[in-house]
Amino acid sequence: MGSGENNPLGAQNAWDMLSDEQSQKHITTGSGDLNNILGGGIHCKEVTEIGGVPGVGKTQLGIQLAINVQIPMQYGGLGGKAVYVDTEGSFMVERVYQIAEGCISDILEHFPHSHEKSSSSNKQLQPEHFLADIYYFRICSYAEQIAAINYLEKFLGEHKDVRIVIIDSVTFHFRQDFDDLALRTRVLSELSLKLMKIAKAYNLAVVLLNQVTTKFTEGSFQLTLALGDSWSHSCTNRVILYWNGNERYAYLDKSPSLPVASAPYAVTGKGVRDVVSSNHKRVRVT
Amino acid sequence: MANMPVSEMRLPPHLAHLLAARRLDTAKDVLSLPEVELMAVLDAGLPTARAAVAHVSEAACPPCQTALALLEERVRLGGGGRLATTLCGLDEALGGGIPMGKLTEVVGPSGIGKTQFCLKVALLGALPEYYGGLDGRVLYIDTESKFSSRRMIEIGQKSFPQVFRQEGLAQKMAGRILVTRPTSLADFTKSLEQMKVTLLQHDVKLLIVDSMAALTSLENERATGFRQHPLRWALSFLKSIAEFSRIPVVVTNQVRSQSNVDGYHFSFEVDRKDGDNCTGGFDSHLVAALGIQWAHAVTVRLVFESHSGHRFIKVAKSPMSPAVAFPFVVETSGITLLSDEGIDVTGPEITSIRCQGKNVLAQ
Amino acid sequence: MEERMNQDQRSTEGRCGRFWNGMDLLKDVTGSKHFLPTGLEGVDTLLGGGLRQGQLTEVTGPSSSGKTQFCLHSASHVAAKHMGVVMYLDTSNSFSPSRIATIIDGTPGLFCQRGSQSTIFLPFFLPLSYGFDLQPKDVRLKNIMRSIICESVFDVFALSEVLHQLEVSLLNDKEKNGGSRICLLIIDSISSLLAPIIGGKYPQGRAMMISVAMILKKLADEHNLAVLVTNHMVSAGNGAVKPALGESWKAVPHVRLVISRDRGSNICTATVLKHTLLASGRTTKFVVPS
Repeated sequence: MGSGENNPLGAQNAWDMLSDEQSQKHITTGSGDLNNILGGGIHCKEVTEIGGVPGVGKTQLGIQLAINVQIPMQYGGLGGKAVYVDTEGSFMVERVYQIAEGCISDILEHFPHSHEKSSSSNKQLQPEHFLADIYYFRICSYAEQIAAINYLEKFLGEHKDVRIVIIDSVTFHFRQDFDDLALRTRVLSELSLKLMKIAKAYNLAVVLLNQVTTKFTEGSFQLTLALGDSWSHSCTNRVILYWNGNERYAYLDKSPSLPVASAPYAVTGKGVRDVVSSNHKRVRVT
Repeated sequence: MANMPVSEMRLPPHLAHLLAARRLDTAKDVLSLPEVELMAVLDAGLPTARAAVAHVSEAACPPCQTALALLEERVRLGGGGRLATTLCGLDEALGGGIPMGKLTEVVGPSGIGKTQFCLKVALLGALPEYYGGLDGRVLYIDTESKFSSRRMIEIGQKSFPQVFRQEGLAQKMAGRILVTRPTSLADFTKSLEQMKVTLLQHDVKLLIVDSMAALTSLENERATGFRQHPLRWALSFLKSIAEFSRIPVVVTNQVRSQSNVDGYHFSFEVDRKDGDNCTGGFDSHLVAALGIQWAHAVTVRLVFESHSGHRFIKVAKSPMSPAVAFPFVVETSGITLLSDEGIDVTGPEITSIRCQGKNVLAQ
Repeated sequence: MEERMNQDQRSTEGRCGRFWNGMDLLKDVTGSKHFLPTGLEGVDTLLGGGLRQGQLTEVTGPSSSGKTQFCLHSASHVAAKHMGVVMYLDTSNSFSPSRIATIIDGTPGLFCQRGSQSTIFLPFFLPLSYGFDLQPKDVRLKNIMRSIICESVFDVFALSEVLHQLEVSLLNDKEKNGGSRICLLIIDSISSLLAPIIGGKYPQGRAMMISVAMILKKLADEHNLAVLVTNHMVSAGNGAVKPALGESWKAVPHVRLVISRDRGSNICTATVLKHTLLASGRTTKFVVPS
């Protein structure tokens, strides 16, 4: 059997895997409460599905992660790059710029002397540099989506500093363009295995944003993530974003090591953050 | 790029021949099969099938751009990629106006002012740039025969009096609006298919579809050959048209009233209502079937609703802003905001649509 | 791949030709084959002791019902009791070493990165370093965890490859040591590997599934392994669900359990769908400790 050290997909014993895991950094979501229920943030080497109703902030969170993965190591981040696969055209580059600005302003606030440091290996704390490290693919059909995911295996080999792949959203094209549902299940099963492999082989986080639909179960219509039964087992972790009264909440629905839990979060002008106390008026974006 | 022919992909000759021999002519043909089925079709081993998939995928995958390059392109194309509606509060909430290259939905009960809004926007598409317009032609797909040039000119004269004082300008502006009235879903679909050519031929700068929902009533569930949901296909096609031609696309949608007030929840929320102090049980008013699909697929969603004796334009979905609502009235000059200071909207109110206090559903 | 399939068929035919008398069979069944306890109370009772060596046990259930926890608990418990090496094949990157360590150690939250031990908690940023100091009792943990081997497998061909290498390794063990060090083989989940190949135009999809099944049973039988596999659920129409992998798979495992989890709690229910020795339909509740 292949050795774990040379081959990322080879066999490893659990003790070695534990020390590897302990030294892994997680990707912060921007909200401490949300990070907490996720065990520190989004995990590399795992596929995390994030689903939610329209407007609750899936794309906002996706963009936030694409920025946060780039936080330099000296500030506790991974210093990596991001791949953003956009299947719905939700990626608004002006918003990405704002979120990058918000991240940089938080860095400068918490590490006040960072702008004085000058090192050639430092990422310059400019929004343009953050935008330059997001590789963007615009996908318009399921065939293109499959092509992109297949091509990623080669692309990631050439861009080893990518530490997150975000697909927004993963099921959109498959919901409408596939006639043969049994074939769709087979194709999606294969696709999800490929995504698992990418996550493990390249030691990065794969984040799949998913839509919500209604399903008639247990005597009533309930909300559920799209492509339900044929797809629901295809992720390592699952987070559902929902409305609880007037607040946004995230519910950890599936995880191999963490219990189910909910946490509130907010979407502000700077991006995804913790909920401030309710007296504070929320800042509107202009 | 899904329909990219295999012959154009510059594959190694043995793979190209193999695929051609089995009539796998486009990228889509090759990629719609799991690997093992491709093996069977090609009558080849796993390494060959995998090589074919890898080559085809690389060729068919759209080119990658960095987000910075996207931003620079946006800046280069100018205008910040927005069409200002002249409703200041709304424009601010939208980051400048209706985005170009994206789908904007306008939804609300009938009679509330959606068409009035479309008329104003249509006018702005036609106006010269120094008046804040796009200085181009507007394609107005009018499925309910609601378009009225006279009303549009009236709006123009009242909103931009200095412009329309000019002799003949009103007629010139009206002349830039190309109105089509499809009588059936098939008609509409056909015009969509030719849309890209049409847009180029006539130098169209804005596309308005008023309204999408009416098309379902034109067609009585006859087999149209578009799988289960012809409107879904139309929706994604409109999106791709928007992106391809980088013009704003505005689509109106209608509502129908909801029989039961119960909203929808996730299964893990069901048990939690006992401990909560939320009144009246379920209060999340999301829509089913096509409604939710629409909500996911559009980039900007403007909900026109009425409650508490006023009408509101609510920015229910926008990447640039949290939800906010503006009270408005319809005057001779068209839609006018009563206040540019929007009212923040949170929680389930964001997705609900209210018509005189009752909740309604989008179709 | 095809050559291997034919080979496997031949060897089983060889064994099928042998005649067993009733007493031999009984001795074979009750004698040398032990139960490997899962460590989940209720389940072990339900199964008459645990996972049977020489047999294939399947656990099926809807998403998030506890299948992976079942596997992690079994692996941890067997390793902690020093019953042998556990081979864990993971198809969804769900093998969690920290969870294994927590189960073995018994202390909840020991290896979680929840909260923070750093001096300043910055809500936006993560703690800059995590502590992990080796204590004396961790030597015990280290020895136990080193007997759990995990390998990621992402397609059915890779699975066949891994199983054949495993077979070679087991044969070597037998030759040198008279028996195998490996006592438990877990595949979580076998259904995700088989889902892309079943039901399509690929005529050998079903045959491949049966071939994999036969290798597993052969490994179980000849090397006294307990084999545990997980299966997911698919829709059966009208909102109902059924185990994936269809009719041809039903006959493969010796024992089939269906599990489900009560909404928002740690309490799961296991029901026996099929068992070679015990009546089916029996059910129990078990708790997945946090």
